[in-house]
Amino acid sequence: MRHLLRYGIGLVAVMLAVTGARADTVRFGAILPLTGPGAMIGTQQMRGIQFAVDKANAAGGVHGNKIEVLFEDNQAKPDQSILSFNKLVDLEHVPMIFTAYSGPSLAMAPLATRKKILLVNAGAQADKLATASPYLVNTLPTIGDEVKVISKYLISEGKTKGAILYENDAAGIAGRDDFVKYFPEAGGTILSQEPAQFGQTDYRPSLLKLADAKPQVMLVSITAGLLQMAQQYKQLGMKFTVAGTTFFADPATVADPSSEGFVHTQVRIDAPPELEAEFKAKYGVNMEFFVRQYYNATQIVLAVADKLLSEGKPLTGQSMHDELFTIGKFNGLIPLEFKSNTATVPLDIDVMKGGKDVTIKQMSAD
Amino acid sequence: MLALQLLCNGIVTGCALGIVAISFSFVYSTTKIFHVAHAGVYTLGGYVAWSLLAHGFPAPVAFLVAVAACTALGALIQTGLYARLERRRATHLVVLIASLGVLAVIQNIVAAVYTANILQFDLPWGAKVFTVVGNVRLTVTQLLTVVCSLAAYAAVMWFSHGTILGKQIRAVASNPFLAEITRLRPRRVHVYVMAIASALVCVPGVLVPLDFGLQPYNGITPLLTATIAMIAGGVGSITGAFVLAIVIAELQNMSLLFIPGEWSIGITFFIFVIFMLFRPTGLFAAAR
Amino acid sequence: MDFWLSYLTLASIYVLLGLSTNLLVGIAGIFSVSQAAVFGVGAYIVAFFLMNDVMSFLPALAIAAVCCVALNIVLTLPALRVAGDYFVVTSFGIQLLATAVFTNWTGGTGGANGLPGIPPADLFGKALEDTSSETILCVGGMVLGCLVFWLVMRAPFGRLLRAIREDELAVAASGKSVLRAKVSAAALAGAFAGSAGGLYATFLSFIDPSSFDLDSSILLLTMVVVGGARTLAGSIIGPFLLLALPQILTLVEIPTTIAAAARQLIYGVLLIVFMLFRPQGLAGEKL
Repeated sequence: MRHLLRYGIGLVAVMLAVTGARADTVRFGAILPLTGPGAMIGTQQMRGIQFAVDKANAAGGVHGNKIEVLFEDNQAKPDQSILSFNKLVDLEHVPMIFTAYSGPSLAMAPLATRKKILLVNAGAQADKLATASPYLVNTLPTIGDEVKVISKYLISEGKTKGAILYENDAAGIAGRDDFVKYFPEAGGTILSQEPAQFGQTDYRPSLLKLADAKPQVMLVSITAGLLQMAQQYKQLGMKFTVAGTTFFADPATVADPSSEGFVHTQVRIDAPPELEAEFKAKYGVNMEFFVRQYYNATQIVLAVADKLLSEGKPLTGQSMHDELFTIGKFNGLIPLEFKSNTATVPLDIDVMKGGKDVTIKQMSAD
Repeated sequence: MLALQLLCNGIVTGCALGIVAISFSFVYSTTKIFHVAHAGVYTLGGYVAWSLLAHGFPAPVAFLVAVAACTALGALIQTGLYARLERRRATHLVVLIASLGVLAVIQNIVAAVYTANILQFDLPWGAKVFTVVGNVRLTVTQLLTVVCSLAAYAAVMWFSHGTILGKQIRAVASNPFLAEITRLRPRRVHVYVMAIASALVCVPGVLVPLDFGLQPYNGITPLLTATIAMIAGGVGSITGAFVLAIVIAELQNMSLLFIPGEWSIGITFFIFVIFMLFRPTGLFAAAR
Repeated sequence: MDFWLSYLTLASIYVLLGLSTNLLVGIAGIFSVSQAAVFGVGAYIVAFFLMNDVMSFLPALAIAAVCCVALNIVLTLPALRVAGDYFVVTSFGIQLLATAVFTNWTGGTGGANGLPGIPPADLFGKALEDTSSETILCVGGMVLGCLVFWLVMRAPFGRLLRAIREDELAVAASGKSVLRAKVSAAALAGAFAGSAGGLYATFLSFIDPSSFDLDSSILLLTMVVVGGARTLAGSIIGPFLLLALPQILTLVEIPTTIAAAARQLIYGVLLIVFMLFRPQGLAGEKL
């Protein structure tokens, strides 16, 4: 019993210390996978946010206030996300939180509605996210939109027999379900589908089984390990077209010769060269897709905050949410518009040629 | 032909897995420690080799330094941690959790230093493809994996049965109590065992990422599959572990012909659990 | 306030799991890393009943507990046939098999997407919508569980279990059925784990396979070892401390790029240090 008392008091003391008061800065939250299999993408996302925040602070902050983003590691797990969400909202009183990955975002959505906290997602694309909560906004199109576009394109190119390679997790399965729905709608047939475990990179068995069905195109819905998949595809001497969505835009994969001819939709988000150089100088790596997405999302959030503060209104989840839709059109790295909880952005069809991504068609996700 | 290609791929992954199984079995049968940190040694080997290659060192040098690093790490874990725990008569559970702690430390140091991204080895000759019997395509890396694994297996067999140290190790494994009384010095033998096992696991530790890319948190799945191979093959039997590793890899590959892909891992473990209920000592159990 | 309440709620649920693991591993000596699988089964059963409006919370919880009792008995029977160390790997295998089922059986468990929108628990017709009532429910469950544990340990059955731990051979020689005692302990452990699962599902309102995987089983083991094996106090301290640890570690100032990995690293170091210098945990008996 004395153990309980002793350690209990110690624990409470430490926890109280954790909730220390902080001075006059504008604080937002971010719940991202910073360790574990999702860490590769989570780190990019964190850097995107931090880079935007640092730049804003260097330019004087938001309406004169310094900005700080509190990062929480959720390891892409929903229950960690909920704990982190409650911590950020109750203890740190943040009005808005950046989120990533479909599973955790869907888990936090009901909480966001209940507590009126703005959740901004710039990475996950599951279709359910479009309607999960009025307080969850997505700055990039859902997988469904992209799949519709690439399906139409493939059918128009005569590739009607498809086989699906998908990651066996929420994001990959969402893509697979969309392919199963929209590819036939556009006039094609799905011959077979094979899963790959998230985090593992031996695609050969799945590739072989898919190839056996003799498809004209392989529809890919995986988020990590693309380079390995491309290399194994080439090594096995496979010849069918490979198609995917924005997930394909992994620079290492694009640069590698084995991805020659891969075609995919691309959410258009380019950064001006000076910005890319500045980022590279600071972090030593290129400004990749998720970095740009979260940089862009941060700019949107800062624009909303700036407008509210300059009008003398408080920064709450509700005010930020309402202001976001009032402003409607934003011009960060790309022009986008919030007609619903999911932003409308330009969508390209790119093909990988000679180590570069080349745009062959431009469309709008409508 | 699909089946033939799957079969060959199974042999490749099975061979690599086999060495993980043998090296883990080496430690377990001698020290009775469930050395999960072995997955960390496996992971580190790949990263050390990658680092050296990235700095311009030739491949053989990178490999040898990686082996040396793994050996040192294994010996360190034994002398710094396991031996101490043993002196305090810690139970298996305590040692297991300490080993888990070591695994977490290694994985996260690697993640902090190299980031969590999948790293690729820059060795173009590894990707060159050969078409062997009946339209089966294998890369140089895959062929190398088979060759090195078989060589390592042969080396371990020779060592275990042909050298004095090898026999001492088998003696300690079969009867630690007696070994304590005679002049076999089990504590020192344990250090040798850990060192050798760590050096061994560096072979797949470098070759598998050469094929599939490096990730910090990827060591535990092969380790678990390897322990299943070890147990199903019979603890103490080197051949048993190696053969069963190939069998399991084949199961996972060939099962794709009959069942949906997401169940192939599940089926493997299911078969294993059933196996444990009816033949817990394994197929090639060492004579006691 | 909600943060403290959700911490307390989760901690209570994990205390139930800690009691379960302690019974199984610490007291019955069955080394199991598949407790998270049983936890998951309990959660999915309750979620299924509540989402499909089949019955209300308490009956669903009862059924989940009974199923997990049966499940635990079935799972630990091999442990009694197979020598201790071999069971470790069997247990790993069971856990990984369970994860595969949770992830791929989309019809039953929602697969990798999980089950969102689980209705909150209801007591006698009244739904517990807000955090405070959920907290009271879970803390109540925890207190009940601790009481049961304490009573069992003081009863003759508890003494029998302790005796088995000390000297199994002597107990068997004296005519008591060691097998039956161990299986009963496993059964009780199953009841605790299944109940914890039901509470977890209704509290989070979203469950997916990632909460019931090998990492979770290992976390449970760690809670028991760090908190202290075989004691009630240990089963309480372990979960409370380990759930708080990630939050405590955020006190340490580390550059953001490596912060998360660094914290996991510290966690690993703590495990090593604990095992080296205080293997009986904070409040336990020597394992």
